[in-house]
Amino acid sequence: MPHDARDEILSRLKRTPRKDVPARRELPPLNELSLDREGMIKKFSDQLWLQTGVVHRVADAKAALEKLSEVAREEKLEKVMVATDSVIAPLDLPAWGAAEGITIFRVRDFMNRNAFKHAVFNEVQAGITGADFAVAETGTLGLIHDKDQARLISLAPILHIVIVPADRFVAVYEQAIEEVFADTDRLPSQFCFITGPSMTADIQATPFKGMHGPRRLIVIIIG
Amino acid sequence: MRVTTHRFKAVVKKEIADLSSRTFLSFLPPLFAALRQAAMASFPDPAGAHAYAADIRAEVVAHLPELLEEFERNATGHGAKVIWARDAQEANEFILNLAKEKNITLVTKGKSMVSEEIGINEVLLGNGIETYETDLGEFITQQLDRPPFHIVGPAVNISLQEICDLFMEKAGMTEPTMDPVKLGYAARLFLRDKFHRVEMGITGVNMAVAETGSLINVENEGNIRLSKSSPRIQVALMSIEKVVPTMKDALHLVRVLCRHCTGQAISAYVSIDTGPKRPGEIDGPEELYIVIVDNGRSTFYRDLRAREVLRCIRCGACMNNCPVYTTIGGYPYGWAYSGPMGQALNPLLLGLEQTQDLYRACTLCGSCKTVCPAGVDHPGLFLYYRTKDVEGDRAFGGMTRHWKETTAFRLFTYGTTHPWFWNLASKIIRPFYNNGARDGMVSELPGPFEAWFRSRNLPAMPKRTFHEEWKRIGKIPAEGPTHGSAPE
Amino acid sequence: MNKVSLFIPCTVDILLPEIGVHTLRLLRSLGVTPVYHEAQTCCGQPSLNAGHLELARKTARHMIAIFENDEAIVSPSGSCVHMIKHHYVELFEGDRTWRARAEALSPRIFELSQYIVDVLGIRDVGASFNGKVTYHESCHVLRGLGVSDQPKALLAGVTGAEFVLLANADRCCGFGGEFAIQYPDISEDLVKDKVKHFLASGADVLILCEPGCLLNINGYLSRNHPGKRAMHLAGFLSENIKGHTR
Repeated sequence: MPHDARDEILSRLKRTPRKDVPARRELPPLNELSLDREGMIKKFSDQLWLQTGVVHRVADAKAALEKLSEVAREEKLEKVMVATDSVIAPLDLPAWGAAEGITIFRVRDFMNRNAFKHAVFNEVQAGITGADFAVAETGTLGLIHDKDQARLISLAPILHIVIVPADRFVAVYEQAIEEVFADTDRLPSQFCFITGPSMTADIQATPFKGMHGPRRLIVIIIG
Repeated sequence: MRVTTHRFKAVVKKEIADLSSRTFLSFLPPLFAALRQAAMASFPDPAGAHAYAADIRAEVVAHLPELLEEFERNATGHGAKVIWARDAQEANEFILNLAKEKNITLVTKGKSMVSEEIGINEVLLGNGIETYETDLGEFITQQLDRPPFHIVGPAVNISLQEICDLFMEKAGMTEPTMDPVKLGYAARLFLRDKFHRVEMGITGVNMAVAETGSLINVENEGNIRLSKSSPRIQVALMSIEKVVPTMKDALHLVRVLCRHCTGQAISAYVSIDTGPKRPGEIDGPEELYIVIVDNGRSTFYRDLRAREVLRCIRCGACMNNCPVYTTIGGYPYGWAYSGPMGQALNPLLLGLEQTQDLYRACTLCGSCKTVCPAGVDHPGLFLYYRTKDVEGDRAFGGMTRHWKETTAFRLFTYGTTHPWFWNLASKIIRPFYNNGARDGMVSELPGPFEAWFRSRNLPAMPKRTFHEEWKRIGKIPAEGPTHGSAPE
Repeated sequence: MNKVSLFIPCTVDILLPEIGVHTLRLLRSLGVTPVYHEAQTCCGQPSLNAGHLELARKTARHMIAIFENDEAIVSPSGSCVHMIKHHYVELFEGDRTWRARAEALSPRIFELSQYIVDVLGIRDVGASFNGKVTYHESCHVLRGLGVSDQPKALLAGVTGAEFVLLANADRCCGFGGEFAIQYPDISEDLVKDKVKHFLASGADVLILCEPGCLLNINGYLSRNHPGKRAMHLAGFLSENIKGHTR
């Protein structure tokens, strides 16, 4: 079936008269492209704030862990799922968790998908991930999903904590995408732009956060 | 999904009197329209950004087969399996067989208009496979068995009481509540269990990027991401026109889509999938099936005018600005696609016969066309469909019109091309038309114009037509007696 | 002196001839002496809108032949101008000769306010009015022809007239020709909404540039709110020019 259908559809599409399309009009460059790093961080923070995202900025990794402790206490975190991406791995969160009395789960702690899913859906109170990009344009985080950045960590728990180094800021989406898609042989199975917590307004147009994904999003910028 | 497009007028009558529908129509579409304008203002050149999106979509339509081949090549290259379906039945059969083969008992669905077009839910449910719409609004409409009221807020008009009753009955809610947020959390809780256990996720596609073979989903709730991350098997359904040339084009369209859809600069999640999960990844689909659905599109593609409907990116801006939609809501359109979008698309997918009212119930005001970021000329298409219907073009399901209408228009045309007849006819009609006129107004008239007079008058025909006035005042120069001659 | 030709739409010819008379007077008062071709009838819009293209073409040929030797054609109707300006060209897509004739005619036809402001360069026609006015942005005038500033400029030029805002001014009044008869439920609701906003605006008179909308809105007003009325811009200006008497 599939091949017959394919050829039939494509040949029908190709059998039609061609129609020239006029050249595209000019698209002026986006305003954000003129921002310097501080400008990008400011725009990012302002935009994410509009989506109820909370942004903290700290000087270094040590301060980031201190901020994380502060957040953990406020949120009364006991069990947390953490990514092992290039931002998170150097922070040694298992050691941090041990010191704080917080149980840290990583993907490698699970035998299989089902065990991981059980924990990430039902047991942990937060997911902590790094971000590969922070996009000033709309206060958007960019996450490359791979074996060190499981998809559900930033999605299933009710609280998503993101750590992003200041050198990961870009002005517009294209700058992130160009980097991610530069090597066509090594494309990530999923790349995700996240702008604020999950939300809806489907009942009586009443907006609220935390529909299916996180209800709250906390971002810690390092540097 | 049942097709009830032929019941348009009856449903209009009902909906126009529905207070709940009217309440939402009075504020939601104008709100979306205002948010769209505000959001577009963040572009350095909003009109340029709008036009650029239309240029991209024009290219997509012009180069559709080549883009689809490029997309297929790259998607397959990254490990996705691409399946082509000529029609709804082929698409449904493939998905059903796949589900059976993999022993699937639970499916979660992300919002997908084409899935509503092909009616996959009914097929899976009919075969004993638990299938849940998971977008909150779609979940409610699925459980209530209603068509979507609005493309963005499919259940936004449903009363709290009705949702409460529904959730008590079907979503495991234990305490009744009239709080929309609590109702939402009840649905979260109920569906969370499904997301946890789901074995197959079915999602739509906002854009399929030819250059990379990637699929892009735009959403706010996270239900699509969950349906793409939790299960081992993912089926992505796309109609043939979802393809876009490059990632750069896709990003521009995402910007424009979000702004036109909900007035957001970007939705909470924009996820871009290229192939199934890679070895070592603990979540994400092991198998990714991309079902490309034609369902009649390649047939009307050969018509250079009709094919332009394929530019549509389903943002819904047209309906928010449509005087007809904002009066009657989504139900009268009787299928998955409502508003001008549905009026343009449904007649081609369902044929002109059973969609008569869709391409006729339009004042040709042009708001949809003006606001459309994809460059669809909706009123132009409606006129085109009317023509095809008049001509009885069978390829479009055209019917030709009743002989009475055709005769009336022939007579009218004879008049417009024979001034003596035109002027004579005006004279002859006058006494009949004016019979019963009072204070210069006609308030009832039997025959085809009867409906007008239910709530409106028409002026009586004055003693002289302009043609006759001209004979009196036309030859006289600007000053003098001209001013004395008053029209009656 | 401009060689200007009047195109008086069929609705005006038969039901609202005073708008034609006012258009004529207004133009004359501005120093323009229009001619009127008595062989004109209707632009054929009803046929086009109903999908009877072959019939619409017949009508279009008749009208093109009548008007194609004029330097400028002026009409007090946005939708009829739109028909001739844009749809005539499309109608003859496959007919080189007639398409060329339609294309030659297209740039020479103007909606009345457009002609006065853009071509004559006049914004003050010498009218005065003591009261509040507002303006309905008829679909084909606004979106079809892109005409909106011109009528408002002419209203701004009326001494003593206070312009008040009309909410949803650019939303369709629900006329749509045959639409009003085929879908009366929707059409009535739309005109009711338009009238509601007009009444709420506090304006004494609602001005517009489209006879179809005028029939619709005044038809509803006269039944439901006698004493309130909409007026065609031509009538409003002409009636309020000093020295012009009714």
